[in-house]
Amino acid sequence: MIEIKNVSFSYSNSKAVSLSDVSLHIQKGEAVLLCGESGCGKTTVTRLINGLIPHYYEGEMFGSVRVGELDVSKAELYETARVVGSVFQNPRSQFFCVDTTSEIAFGCENMGLPEDEIGQRIARAAEEMDVIALLRRSIFKLSGGEKQRVACASVSALQPEVLVLDEPTSNLDMAAIEKLWEVLLLWKKQGKTIIIAEHRLHWLMDICDRVVYMSRGKVETDCSMREFILKGDNRLTEMGLRPLYLKNFAHMNGSRKEHGGSIFLSDFFFCYKQAKTPALDIRQLELPKGKIVAIIGYNGSGKSTFARCLCGLEKRCRGILNEAGKEKKAKQRLKCCYMVMQDVNHQLFTESVLDEVLLSMKEPDEAAAVKILDSLNLLPMKELHPMSLSGGQKQRVAIASAVASCKEVIVFDEPTSGLDLRHMKEVSENLKQLSEQGKSLFIITHDLELIFECCTHILHLENGKVIGNYPLDFEGCKRLKLSFGSTVETDFIDVRKKANFTFNCRLQRANKT
Amino acid sequence: MRQSILQSDVDARGLVIDPRTKLLLLITMAVFVLGSVGIAQLSFINPVLCLIPFCLLLLSRRIKVAVVSLLIYALIYLVTMLVMPHTTGLINFLLLGTSVVVMRLLPGILTGMYVLSSTTVSEFTAAMQRMHITEKLTIPLSVMFRFFPTVADEFSSINDAMLMRGVSFGGGNVGKMLEYRLVPLMTCSVKIGEELSAAALTRGLGGSVRRTNVCRIGFHLADAVVITLCAAPYAGLLLSRCGVL
Amino acid sequence: MNNKLNAKDLINVGIFTAVYFVLVFAVAMLGVIPIFMPLLCVIVPIIGGVPFMLFLTKVKKFGMILIMSILMGILMLLTGMGYYAIIVGLVSGLIAEFVYKGGGYKSASKAVLTSGLFSIWIIGNYIPLFTNIEGYFATRQSFGQEYIDALTGLMPAWMCPVLLVAAFISGIIGGLFGRALLKKHFAKAGIV
Repeated sequence: MIEIKNVSFSYSNSKAVSLSDVSLHIQKGEAVLLCGESGCGKTTVTRLINGLIPHYYEGEMFGSVRVGELDVSKAELYETARVVGSVFQNPRSQFFCVDTTSEIAFGCENMGLPEDEIGQRIARAAEEMDVIALLRRSIFKLSGGEKQRVACASVSALQPEVLVLDEPTSNLDMAAIEKLWEVLLLWKKQGKTIIIAEHRLHWLMDICDRVVYMSRGKVETDCSMREFILKGDNRLTEMGLRPLYLKNFAHMNGSRKEHGGSIFLSDFFFCYKQAKTPALDIRQLELPKGKIVAIIGYNGSGKSTFARCLCGLEKRCRGILNEAGKEKKAKQRLKCCYMVMQDVNHQLFTESVLDEVLLSMKEPDEAAAVKILDSLNLLPMKELHPMSLSGGQKQRVAIASAVASCKEVIVFDEPTSGLDLRHMKEVSENLKQLSEQGKSLFIITHDLELIFECCTHILHLENGKVIGNYPLDFEGCKRLKLSFGSTVETDFIDVRKKANFTFNCRLQRANKT
Repeated sequence: MRQSILQSDVDARGLVIDPRTKLLLLITMAVFVLGSVGIAQLSFINPVLCLIPFCLLLLSRRIKVAVVSLLIYALIYLVTMLVMPHTTGLINFLLLGTSVVVMRLLPGILTGMYVLSSTTVSEFTAAMQRMHITEKLTIPLSVMFRFFPTVADEFSSINDAMLMRGVSFGGGNVGKMLEYRLVPLMTCSVKIGEELSAAALTRGLGGSVRRTNVCRIGFHLADAVVITLCAAPYAGLLLSRCGVL
Repeated sequence: MNNKLNAKDLINVGIFTAVYFVLVFAVAMLGVIPIFMPLLCVIVPIIGGVPFMLFLTKVKKFGMILIMSILMGILMLLTGMGYYAIIVGLVSGLIAEFVYKGGGYKSASKAVLTSGLFSIWIIGNYIPLFTNIEGYFATRQSFGQEYIDALTGLMPAWMCPVLLVAAFISGIIGGLFGRALLKKHFAKAGIV
């Protein structure tokens, strides 16, 4: 079905070679997992298949790519679009329309299909992807998982032979991943060819039948999923990959440190305008000081709202933070709290890394700034423009500016979404280091590996309320795994038999319409 | 999340009229109220035209906006008619300025608000297509409407970031403040824009086939009423030019 | 290279128009105070210069600037500012287009000039406040001569060319400002 022959490619704005002499032959109906460290070229391979390279991302390309009968590198993008459907990483930026129905219709409209046919295809795709309840809604009111499913429906409505997914779960919680898994299973049953580039491997074990491991723009290993599983998690760690089994985790960070005082929160209540139920409703809460607290919960459970209120960004939130007898209202909290946003680009303003740190200091002190940069391994880049750095480096610049402004509480919003093993470990090292300096850290995350890597305490939110607040000791670990759902504790094949059943029912319904 | 400028929750919007009717209404407002092409004999027509957006806002369940702006409009109207003739000098001047701006701009702006808040993007593009407007305009237009909320979101995130850094207003000169706001805004917008284009292109945007459109638009009773009301001043104008009136 | 506008170009136009308009809209909130109305035609082009200059780096084909002008006009119509901006934008956009084309779509000084010319669209918003004062008052004789005099005093006819020149010059200043930022940030950040 897909024939990639001796392809080398380098993007026009970079000197580095992204792919060197990659050949890949993929059969019809195969499901292939592309994995490897960030920058290994797996995204580039997906772009070769859907034609974005060389038509959208320009650069120097050698070799040929064929999908079915189509020479992708020569055909126009809209011709490729009939055969290859793509789902991307960021649900926020892959929607062209503002409401869901138009979005699902979008591809078909572009193909100029008759209106009645489009109507039928929408109904069918919505049924298959379980998004009927989301039809005719505003895109901006959906959660990340819902958006990703609508994106899948939109691609599905075009009924392509080949589906390409580029890190589709970066911004998703466990429940949403589970839903996406169903979608992939459906496509697999329909005999579609699937290519998926991912960091999180655990949910793909029974979807993909072949694994292509890439490193530095080359295919290193190309084997069946069975062989790949047999390698074992230790070998995968050596390859820089995230583990296949989440249940093997067992670190007990919580018990190893002594108690270092507490922070008390009271009356953290917040309700968005035009919303009926409060997004956050916490009367009293005691959290450890100087520790790394993971804030967990599904998308929309109030994690971000909590973080925003904690940092004092929501002025209407009347909550009070009490630390060692000192009471702090929103305005004072703004001075002592800092949030490292999910998209760090929002918080980098100046033209060099050093300036960025100096800007945060009350009294610009270059020597101190250099010291901070050094501690975060940023010294070699101190003259560079922050925006020209890699994602992880940008994040460290943001951390550096937080340290420079002497913030005591630092909140991280999904610091490891879409990061590979090595970068995730790097982030966790930085977090531990900050914690040793006595900062109180709060981390909003879906990343179980990160939690086990460095967090010492768990705060579990649901519907704006605290449903769990416990240290990550032996008991805590168990509880955490339980709250992260079935996929962690059991061998998920069992659980998925059940899912398979409900999903077959839906498939039958979809075929009827 | 932020409400989009263009309506996107299809089910929550009262009375629906055709986008083309809305466009006619906008142009009529622009000509007769904003541009004040007046007809001396038919001076009652302008206030009647001005009432249309209020009614439409009410019918599309934007009650609060409609009532508040109607009150403002009525207040300014009364002040202009009753109080202003008795004032002189600076006060008169200020009142005058305000009244001109409010009486001329407010109805137009309200109509604009109504049109934007009651139209979905696909209705809009469908209407543009029916009027045979080229894709060179409709594609950028739909991207633009899709992008407004994103820009607004980015803008507020950047504001938050500045607050936390303590570099909002007052901290430095105007140029720096502008720079700190615009630079991240531009970089983020360009990045999101690139991803957006990529996603649109892989779903076949810009193909050589003529696009179809799933949303159904058409004229109904409400359209007829609005069209008649809009046609009245043109007819009056025509008649007065011909010397009938 | 193909000289026809493709989907990527059109999407770029849409994105930058959105950014430009949001900035204009944010600034125009000042215009609620009547005294600030004339000042808008100075502030808007200066701030708009930044996204516009960044936009120009993406312009390589004929038509993109013109489309952006027309879009701004349509937006003005949709936000209830009248249809004049479309007409003005059509002319100023076309001139700007030719000037930038004259620079081979890369000349930096032409780009700044283009920014100035493009900014003239904003005059369209003021036209209804100048035109047809007599017609307007034909229906409002009851207001008295003082009113009419004062109104013509607030927006005298000679203000029109003054605003035009002001918009053009501020557009150039905005262009220079934008170019400075381009050099300082965007080029280093690798997004140009």
